[in-house]
Amino acid sequence: MKLLLAEDDAILADALSSSLAKAGFEVEVAPNGAVAEFLLLRQNFDVGVLDLGLPMVDGLTVLKRVRAAKPALPMLVLTALDGLEHRVAGLNAGADDYLTKPFDFPELEARIRALLRRTRGSGTAAQQFGKLSFDRDARRATIEGNVLDLSPREWMLLDLLLTQRDRVVTKDQIAESWAVERSETGAGSIEVYIHRLRRKLEGSGLAIRTVRGLGYLLEAEAEA
Amino acid sequence: MLARLKHALRRLPGVTPGTSSLHQHLLLWLLVPQLVLWLAGAFFTYNLAARYANQAIDATLHTASKALARQVKPVGNGLFIDFPRAAQDIIEADPDDRVYYMVSTPPGQFILGNHKLPPPPAIAPLRLGQPYFYDGSMGEGDKRVDVRVAALYLSYGEAESPQSMLVQVARSRASREQLAGRILLDTVLPLSVLILLMSMIVWAGIRAGLAPLARMRALVEDRGPNDLAPLKLESAPREVHALAKAINTLLSAVHESVSGQRRFISDAAHQLRTPLAGLKSQTELALNETTDPALKARLQRVHESATRSAHLVNQLLTLARAEPESGSAQGRARVELVRLASELTAEHVPRARQAGIDLGFDEADGGSVAVTGNALLLREAIANLIDNALRYAGHGSTVTVRVRPLGHDALVEVEDNGPGIAPADRERVFERFARATMQGDGCGLGLAIVKEIAERHAGSVSLEGAVPRGLRVRMRLPRAAA
Repeated sequence: MKLLLAEDDAILADALSSSLAKAGFEVEVAPNGAVAEFLLLRQNFDVGVLDLGLPMVDGLTVLKRVRAAKPALPMLVLTALDGLEHRVAGLNAGADDYLTKPFDFPELEARIRALLRRTRGSGTAAQQFGKLSFDRDARRATIEGNVLDLSPREWMLLDLLLTQRDRVVTKDQIAESWAVERSETGAGSIEVYIHRLRRKLEGSGLAIRTVRGLGYLLEAEAEA
Repeated sequence: MLARLKHALRRLPGVTPGTSSLHQHLLLWLLVPQLVLWLAGAFFTYNLAARYANQAIDATLHTASKALARQVKPVGNGLFIDFPRAAQDIIEADPDDRVYYMVSTPPGQFILGNHKLPPPPAIAPLRLGQPYFYDGSMGEGDKRVDVRVAALYLSYGEAESPQSMLVQVARSRASREQLAGRILLDTVLPLSVLILLMSMIVWAGIRAGLAPLARMRALVEDRGPNDLAPLKLESAPREVHALAKAINTLLSAVHESVSGQRRFISDAAHQLRTPLAGLKSQTELALNETTDPALKARLQRVHESATRSAHLVNQLLTLARAEPESGSAQGRARVELVRLASELTAEHVPRARQAGIDLGFDEADGGSVAVTGNALLLREAIANLIDNALRYAGHGSTVTVRVRPLGHDALVEVEDNGPGIAPADRERVFERFARATMQGDGCGLGLAIVKEIAERHAGSVSLEGAVPRGLRVRMRLPRAAA
């Protein structure tokens, strides 16, 4: 997966390109806006990571020009500026996501992967989560080869939890994915589905945690 | 009286500046001279009245002395006085207003009348036929009576050997003083009413005149220490406008310097972010690349330190933003707290799980709890409350975020069952860079930020102990009108 990193701070660029390379990206570094614009327009990158405060041509301008030429290219903006107005300006200029410096690398990687997931649509191949294999196209989930028998609502629930794994999925979001009003689902309805799904996920290495007052969260079970 | 005057003088402006109000100063400066003038006026009036009373008495005394002189006829070398008893009785009849008379031929030869009458003063210019008036006193029984005396010199006898005689008529001064007193009273009474009215008018006038100053004082007193907006004074006199303008000039200079400093902090924080990001990324990388446990431990410390610095920089920026008049603190809108707090709690759940903390949300049963405010700042405030709990509650603890209405207020509470904060430290932790514990990796700005933001929204923050242990931080904000 080809990634362009436009960052003028040599130390940060060096660290990020090494980390991204380790994470499996093919990284090209642009030290200024002009190079970044040139590379993004001439070569085929899968994703761009842009610092806003670039020399020669600033990040926002690069973003606007590239967005005009390549509307589908996912681009994430990195910046030391975090004021609301800057955030709005970045998103208006066509950024798909926005990350404020300094950040933890896992956060950056997760954001890039989420962007790729979102913009490339449902993955072509089945995704692997622990022992669970989840194939959206085939609408099939297996644990170590054993197919899970999931009702449509259970399927949607699992899809939602997997997409947002390690993050809270609220009851409203669940109701929304089922395309019903939360009040219509009945008090215990979501809990019933969660309960069933938990039992079906046993042995997958994934666990659905209840978050008090908020909803649920899917995470890898702690290594025993 | 003297003591009071001294006291009044001490209170005059310039003598002891700054101790009394402008109101008092003006009142004193207007009323004291007025009182002095009033006293002078009364004194002058009294003297004038006494003079006119004297003139009236003098006229009667003159007539009486001439009439008496007419009764004295020279006979040869002597004098013959034809003064019937009845006439004497009439002259001396009124007991309150006694009239005395004496006829003598100088030097000192008493002829007729009351010989106790005081003689005319030696310096008196004695001219024949011209009456001379003077004040004196004489014994009457066992008391002394003040009298007004008319002395008239007349000559008699042959032209070749003229002789003079002195006719004195005296009248008690009691009636004259009575008259003068009445005139005085008649003048002073209306004057007193006048001065009373004047004082009241002056007092009201000063009050009205100083009202713009009082308004300005209220304007200055009512504002918070961070409010550096210029004073707005409509319909104030020129002088007060000038003062307000001077204050506004000062305010804008202070504002200029404060915002300059704030800009510097913000710029410095921004400039620190990129190198910190580099530092963090490089240490993360190094941590992954080394297998040496000692080096790994050291790098871990470096990484922690970088993370802490990054947190501090972010908090400083938040604080700079939370302060009034920073550009991003201006917008105000209706903010749904239940939604905001639950979103923020959800965002913090992954971190809480990493730290082994059970983070949850306790929804208000009423549904909507809304306030009017800056969504960005309120988000920072609530995030800081949750962040604090996660930092200090410790592994295995439970943290609950709660939003509920209470009367006209909205409450955002974050409760944990961690170690809590000793009551003695609960005030101090709201100060910047004050920390109750050296545990955790906070920077001591979290609660200062929450306090700043709550106060910007006319709210407050308080800490209380939770039962059986732990801490409850409560942010109270006024609810938006439904």
